[in-house]
Amino acid sequence: MKMRKVGSLVLILALLVSLVGCGGSTQNSDNNQAAPTPQQSEAANAKMQEMEDILMAQLQPLPETNTGDKIGILVITLTNPFWVGMKEAYEAAGQELGVEVEVMAAPTENDSKSQLETLQAMTAKDYKALIISPIEPFNLVPGIVQANNKGIKVVNLGPGVDTAAVANAGGKIDGRICVDFEEQGKLAAEYIIEKMGSEGGKVAIIQGIPGAGQSEGRTQGAKKAFESAPNVELVSIQPANWDRNTAYNTATNLIQAHPDLKGIFCCNDVMALAAADALEAAGQREGKIIFGVDFIGEAAEAMKSGKLDGSIAYSSTVYAKAAVLLALKTIQEQEVPETVFSPLAVVTKENIDQYEGWK
Amino acid sequence: MIHRLWTKTQDYASQVLLGLILVAAIIYLSMVSEHFLTWFNIRNILDQSTLLVIMGVGMTFVICTAGIDLSVGAVVALSGICMATAMHSGLAVGPAILLGLLAGTIIGLLNGLIISAFNINPFIVTLGTMSVTRGIALIMTGGIPIYGFSTAFTWWGSGHIGPINPPMLLALGIALAGAVVLNYTKLGSYALALGGNEEALHRSGVATKKNKVIIYGICGFTAALAGLVVTARLNTAEPLAGYMFELDAIAAVVLGGTDMKGGRGSISGTVIACLLLGVLRNGLTIMSIPSYYQQLAIGLIILIAVIISELRFRNTLNRLQEAN
Amino acid sequence: MTDSDHKPIIRLRNITKNYGNIRALQNVDLDIYMSQVLAVVGDNGAGKSTLIKVLSGAIKPSQGEIEVAGKVYTGLNPALAISLGISTVYQDLALVDTRDVAANLFLGRELVKFGWWLDKKLMLEKSKQLLRNLNVNIVDPQRMVSQLSGGQRQGIAVARAVNQGGKVIIFDEPTAAMGVNESRQILNLIKDLAEQGYAVIVVSHNLHHVLEISQRICVMKQGRLVANLETAQSSPSEIAHYITGVNNLEDDQEIAQ
Repeated sequence: MKMRKVGSLVLILALLVSLVGCGGSTQNSDNNQAAPTPQQSEAANAKMQEMEDILMAQLQPLPETNTGDKIGILVITLTNPFWVGMKEAYEAAGQELGVEVEVMAAPTENDSKSQLETLQAMTAKDYKALIISPIEPFNLVPGIVQANNKGIKVVNLGPGVDTAAVANAGGKIDGRICVDFEEQGKLAAEYIIEKMGSEGGKVAIIQGIPGAGQSEGRTQGAKKAFESAPNVELVSIQPANWDRNTAYNTATNLIQAHPDLKGIFCCNDVMALAAADALEAAGQREGKIIFGVDFIGEAAEAMKSGKLDGSIAYSSTVYAKAAVLLALKTIQEQEVPETVFSPLAVVTKENIDQYEGWK
Repeated sequence: MIHRLWTKTQDYASQVLLGLILVAAIIYLSMVSEHFLTWFNIRNILDQSTLLVIMGVGMTFVICTAGIDLSVGAVVALSGICMATAMHSGLAVGPAILLGLLAGTIIGLLNGLIISAFNINPFIVTLGTMSVTRGIALIMTGGIPIYGFSTAFTWWGSGHIGPINPPMLLALGIALAGAVVLNYTKLGSYALALGGNEEALHRSGVATKKNKVIIYGICGFTAALAGLVVTARLNTAEPLAGYMFELDAIAAVVLGGTDMKGGRGSISGTVIACLLLGVLRNGLTIMSIPSYYQQLAIGLIILIAVIISELRFRNTLNRLQEAN
Repeated sequence: MTDSDHKPIIRLRNITKNYGNIRALQNVDLDIYMSQVLAVVGDNGAGKSTLIKVLSGAIKPSQGEIEVAGKVYTGLNPALAISLGISTVYQDLALVDTRDVAANLFLGRELVKFGWWLDKKLMLEKSKQLLRNLNVNIVDPQRMVSQLSGGQRQGIAVARAVNQGGKVIIFDEPTAAMGVNESRQILNLIKDLAEQGYAVIVVSHNLHHVLEISQRICVMKQGRLVANLETAQSSPSEIAHYITGVNNLEDDQEIAQ
């Protein structure tokens, strides 16, 4: 009796393992064999095509595609919608470019140890290149060195790996593609400056977590633009930790202190939306420009209704495709630029109509 | 004689069963992926399991006493930060490591002291010290990682000793020492008795509180040692290092057949469980199974293994009681 | 044999234990002699358990002295009691169910080699010897205690008390929850121990058992020692009279305060 009970449990376990195994491989073959859907190979709209053209120009000469190379991709986590979107974009890019991509992730946003372990396991496979986005600058360093030693090319997308730490450990990054945070801040600030016109006025910046790369970069970019514009006075830079509630309170305080404020640049859309709400609640929304970064779905809605003035966007689809092309270039030992920047689009309530279907 | 042999096998049945599952998993994974059973990958798995083994040994002792230590993850971070800060302020590698190990041990001893002095539930006490320790780690660093150490230090995480590396040796050493202490010393005997019947131990004239404090100190020490390995390996001490490690360690210990109710425990079980978890995580990644499924699979395997172990134990008891 | 033939091994003098306003023990004086079974009887709440706890070191008395082999203490703890040669077989037996027989027998008195390495082989051998000497029917000292019967478990608890090397063994309700055969075994064991020279103290509800095995009987009532009788010269009815008592209005009032 006892043996049978234990036996059946062991069987369940074995089944479970094989079930999960089958599930995984079926999914892979789906990815590889399914006929490409027609609209995926074309950019969803003209704006995306524009982005793609800019990016491709940076990657000239384009590498040979349809090589069937296996490329492993390690994103941060699939519990964050952004990275889920990136995973889809990578898979679409893989199909379009005729390479095999496999996207892996850490279980959660903070699990830097598991992310490293996943990378290390990936280096044991027959990938030609890996595209990695680390949770923090240091956690993947040993895995990168392992990949180097196995002759696997390593491309870093998005959050930066600390290159000094990699060099210290005897490794290297073969290619780097990212978004220029300073440029994001600069573009947003320039829009605000232009809207205020020649008379200028007072502006403020709401930051994310102080010290975080995106937050600092965007702040610097915006700050430089504001400071170099005539008649524009940057009155305050306040951190709101990417948090909606904090940003709401911060914006309320800002407008209290500077009722004649004309523009607020927020380091992401969530905080920008909160700032818009706060100003609305204070009856001060009229005549003030609020700008965010990321172009999330909610921001698009808000721009259509006029609640938000604009956001800085980049296309995940184009971003992922460029990353795969960059990986192919490194595999083919082509010369690559030190850093490839994803092109950015300034989306505003005036031009939002042109961004239908953007991803 | 046969009877005795049978009862002996019964004693180790958990470990034998777990070992069989491990072997089955290895066979299965090497059949489905040619990349699994390579020395490169085996080395990966061993290397990755070291942290869990080191922490698991200390945690085994604590769980044997029917206790728990939720602060180990935070201790990993704090001890690494102590070592990093000490080295950056000019202390030599050796003393800096000792300082970090001492810091971890002190947090452990403190856990034990509070638990036994005030007779408070270990879950609550270590939940508190977890937060306090993490807080100290954040305050000491201002939230910013400390990086860049001499090779004499990073050797502890990424050096080479022939085909293996120092963390593997450390893990092996700690596991052996743990097994000896648990099975062949008074302290180990008392750890098991504390979990089995603390009052009985006290009435037998044993200083139960002192032993409890030492056991939590051991757990703090092993967590600090894990902190050394992780800091040296990444060449960085970060305040959020070791995030949620406590849960991994507890899962490994329980999977290894140590009873959360205390009184029963085994280091070899913990080590096998750590290897099994390492093999599964690695194997599922090698098979390119998405992280969602990995979480699900590992969670289910822990549940099933614990259920099997519990059923087996209860069945043994029932059968013996019937026999009497 | 009379009391004056030899000196007591333990003298309790004026022991009082208060729990808040409740006096669990009041000015108890008691002498305990070697090679004798001393029975302590009384109703529930009469103070028997408290008296045992004072002797085994589980609690410290509020007042009074405990003199052991000529040395005076104001209170004991379990470790001290054991080191002074006072061992206790608790009603709940205080065994670690999850450990084997040998580990329980040597709990707190483990034998070691090189100063730290548990000498399991030696402990196993000694366990077998010990159990054989006490006629405890356990074949294999490597079995887990949880797998043993009630009688066997009690055998282990007694063997452990003996193994602690003391001269005084206290039994707290040894026959409670025991079958007829098992009670018989434990009573014989108690008599044997006294014959071997141990001072044995037995706390029991069962007058028949007490009369059979003891040389002296102490009756407790409402925290006081109300009678200290030679078993041979007393009768069940006399003891019952002391236990139930008649003229105890005064005591009742004292308790009520």
